[in-house]
Amino acid sequence: MENLHYAYVLIFIGLCAIGVNFGFKLQFSKKIKLFLLTDSLILVIYLIWDFWAVSKGSWFFDSKQILGIMLLGKLPIEEVLFFIIVPLMTVLTYLALTKLTGWGNKESRDLL
Amino acid sequence: MIYSDIALSAVFVAVVLDLFLLKSRMMTRGIFWLTYFLILPFQLLTNWWLTSNKIVMYSDTEIIGQRLAGAPIEDLLFGFSMILLTISAWEFFKERSSIDTH
Repeated sequence: MENLHYAYVLIFIGLCAIGVNFGFKLQFSKKIKLFLLTDSLILVIYLIWDFWAVSKGSWFFDSKQILGIMLLGKLPIEEVLFFIIVPLMTVLTYLALTKLTGWGNKESRDLL
Repeated sequence: MIYSDIALSAVFVAVVLDLFLLKSRMMTRGIFWLTYFLILPFQLLTNWWLTSNKIVMYSDTEIIGQRLAGAPIEDLLFGFSMILLTISAWEFFKERSSIDTH
C-alpha cells in the first residue's frame, strides 16, 4: 500500500469535499461547468510550473510512494489530480463560508 | 530562477490577476481571508505528510532552506497564490456566466 501514500492526501481532501458539499447543501453538481472553467486556468498555470520544476529537479517524488502513472513521462498523476481536488476543496470551502457568514453578497466588500 | 523566485512571482501574478485583470478583487474581501486562513492549517497538514514521509523532496539549491511543517516556506506562497487565483477566477467566471443567461 506504500504506493498510495501520495494518493491518501487526495482521498482525504476528496472526502472532506464530499462532506462539505452535502453538509452545507452546496449543490456542487449544478456548478460543475463553472468549476471546470475555473480549474482549467489553474491546471494550465500550475501544471506548466510543476512540469518545468520537475524537469529542472526543483522537487522530485519517491517512486515507491506514488501510483507510477506519469504525465508526459515526468509528472505523477497525483500532481494532476492535486490541481483538481485542491481547487475543488477551495471553492467548496469558499461557498460554505459564504453561506455560513452571509458575506458573499456584493455589498459586503468589507475591507476596502 | 529557483522555487523561491517563482513562488514570489506566482503571488505577484495572482494578485495582479485578482485586482486588475479578472477584477474580482477578492483580496479586498473578508470572505477571501477567512477562506484562506481556514485552508492554511490543512495545507500545513498535507505538507507535513508529503515531506515527513519523503513522498516529495526538494533540491537544496532551489529553496532558501527555511521550513514550516516539514515543507519549504516557499510552499506558503504557492498555496496562497493558488487559493487566491482559484476564488478570483471562480468569481470572474460566475459573473460572466450570469451575464450570459440574461
